[in-house]
Amino acid sequence: MKTRRLAAAAMAGGAAAAVTLILLRRRPGRLRYHRGLAALRLFVRGGIRYAGSAPRMFAAAGERRQLLREDLALQTAEDVADTLGAMKGVMMKIGQMASYVDGGLSPAVRHTLARLQDSVPPMSPQLAAAVVEEELGAPPERAFARWDPRPIAAASIGQVHRAVTLDGRAVAVKVQYPGIAETIAADLRNVTLLRRMLKITAPAQDVDALLTELRDRIGEELDYRREAASQRLLAAYYSGHPTIHIPAIVSELSTRRLVTSELSGGARFAELSTWPQHERDLAAETIYRFVFRSLYEVGAFNGDPHPGNYLFHPGGRVTFLDFGLVKHFTAAELQPLLQMARTVCVEHDPEAFRRSLEDAGFLRRGAPLSTSAITEHLAVFYDTIREPGPLTITSDYASSVVRRFFDLRSPVAGYISVPRPYVILQRINLGLFAVLGELSATADWRAIAEEIWPFVQGPPSTPMGEAEAAWRAQHQAIAA
Amino acid sequence: MADLYATATGLIERSAAAYASGVPEDAADDGFFGPASVAWKVSADLASPVAGLRALLIQALHPLAMAGIDQHSGWRQDPAGRLAATSAYLATITFSERTVAAAAAARVRRIHDHVRGVDAVTGRPYAAGDPALLLWVHVALVQSSLAAGQAFGTPLSADDSERYIAEMMVAAELVGVPRPLIPAGVAELDRYVASVRPELRCTPAARESMAYLLDPPGLDQEIAGFWQDVRDGAIAVLPEWAREMYGYSAPQPPPLESGRRTEIRQSLGVLDALFLSEPGVLEARQRITVRMRATRSA
Repeated sequence: MKTRRLAAAAMAGGAAAAVTLILLRRRPGRLRYHRGLAALRLFVRGGIRYAGSAPRMFAAAGERRQLLREDLALQTAEDVADTLGAMKGVMMKIGQMASYVDGGLSPAVRHTLARLQDSVPPMSPQLAAAVVEEELGAPPERAFARWDPRPIAAASIGQVHRAVTLDGRAVAVKVQYPGIAETIAADLRNVTLLRRMLKITAPAQDVDALLTELRDRIGEELDYRREAASQRLLAAYYSGHPTIHIPAIVSELSTRRLVTSELSGGARFAELSTWPQHERDLAAETIYRFVFRSLYEVGAFNGDPHPGNYLFHPGGRVTFLDFGLVKHFTAAELQPLLQMARTVCVEHDPEAFRRSLEDAGFLRRGAPLSTSAITEHLAVFYDTIREPGPLTITSDYASSVVRRFFDLRSPVAGYISVPRPYVILQRINLGLFAVLGELSATADWRAIAEEIWPFVQGPPSTPMGEAEAAWRAQHQAIAA
Repeated sequence: MADLYATATGLIERSAAAYASGVPEDAADDGFFGPASVAWKVSADLASPVAGLRALLIQALHPLAMAGIDQHSGWRQDPAGRLAATSAYLATITFSERTVAAAAAARVRRIHDHVRGVDAVTGRPYAAGDPALLLWVHVALVQSSLAAGQAFGTPLSADDSERYIAEMMVAAELVGVPRPLIPAGVAELDRYVASVRPELRCTPAARESMAYLLDPPGLDQEIAGFWQDVRDGAIAVLPEWAREMYGYSAPQPPPLESGRRTEIRQSLGVLDALFLSEPGVLEARQRITVRMRATRSA
């Protein structure tokens, strides 16, 4: 329900900014003047659209919303500590993460977290400017050619401002609340309290695995340089990709508490839902390719695939935003996942599937269960890729995946646990399929998966696959 | 013993409703304190639950005050309701316009008129309207707010502590304490407490009621762990003599070690978040903040 509300809030907005960007891209060598002019246009027009459709605007309860936003703005680091200290910032992060890994947040917990988010006003323009100055050594009016003092969106521990760089690029600048990193780091040390809260928040989980993962991920998120590094890595990997677009990081304007990236326009999720089914299928295909190519080839998984983090363009082109929650996997961590997919989908060997589950730590070794019971319980996660042929992912399918995941009554459930490296991957089931289900996306997912699986490396199965293959050939040529 | 009491479930919900309704949407005047007061600042302090519990622990040590509560208030039937009513009263006195605050105080005085009796332990007669008892209750609250804020919330400067005590005099006046009797600063407050101490006793009624408060049966399981931290916090900021009268063991060494202090503060933060999510509380806080900001910038 909260996801729905977030999604609804993330909606509306148009493609004008996208068009501006596409025009920009087509004339890479133009004068800086033109680029600057276009950036300003984006700043003024596209930016306002972006503002109106930001993932989560600062909420103020009741009437006089705009007025309240300004009256209540956090003016000092002490205001930040009062608002987000003493566990409140951590609670918000737990809520965010737990909603990724646990579809079973109770309505009461959901409500508390939503109200908590509503209670955080934006930083005052002066406070945000002070952070920029501390990070860049110059106030925003000097560090940037243009700086919009009003934030356009709330980030969980910061807020996003539009700006134009001195060399004329329109950018989005995420500014972290001052003092928040220290506060949250201190709060994360209270393991007893965190465990108590997690038991309330995510009762269906192995609390200790979740706790450790949560502390690591939140800890990482406090240093924006990690986010910038993840985004840079993915932007470099997908550079020139026909449909996947990752906004470039402006490295010289990114620091521990600032992350500056190319400002992107595009249609929001709600608008995509009004596009023809063909367009929705293409967008879904791009998202699908992005998730699994990133995982298997870059070893990176964005744990935050919610509808607000996509901008859509015609022809299946998708801009991916917000890399604050990226988990990086080693080859050794990926191997069991590939092995599981291979044994169940390609080799159709239930015993080997069971062994690979045990090897990865998903299934307790020697569990008194028949292999067919195990396969039957877990097969739902592979339903979309077990057989070739076009298949529509429905919202019903997405919910059935969630239900199965949290089906604690099944005799199999007692022997299954999710090893820590994979906790965040549950978001594939709970996030990705929910998005594809909302789009009622149809594709031959198996054929696409075969393209991506390193143990198959199948031929292109769609026009997008053809374009991607061409890109890969070129990409690899450049890399070599 | 649990049967003696109705369940304490719903404490947060009911206190929150009381609080939200005590903060007016459109006030005709700034009431008896106003947005520039220290009292407004203190009322929003994270440490308020600790302050409230400490105040009750101190108030209960006056045998006549305790007897009045014990024999009349019926709090055993509905402890959460009783505490919520107190929260509502305090919010009204603090934030409402003067006529509303004065009317609430008048209602309390009328109730007090009927609360009379004889304390079984000391054999002394008592009346809830007795300024001496009202003053004890008042001072316990004022002093507890300062002590709890100092330990777990946002500590006041020495000047603000003095101002706070002086501002709060009007609250005692409203329930019928003559102004000359009311301590107007830190030193007077301390002298007053020292002067009352010979009368204090930990009666069976006090012991039993407070044991209940420190470990209320029926508290939502999720809240119980947090309440334990509130309780430890309240005991930690009790004066040594009060801890001895109850026989509570002091935290070792008495100034709480900073790790435990942080933990209690963090629990208070979680409780505050739960409080905040109750209907109307966020809006009430925003109304207060907006008015305080307006005063600050004016």
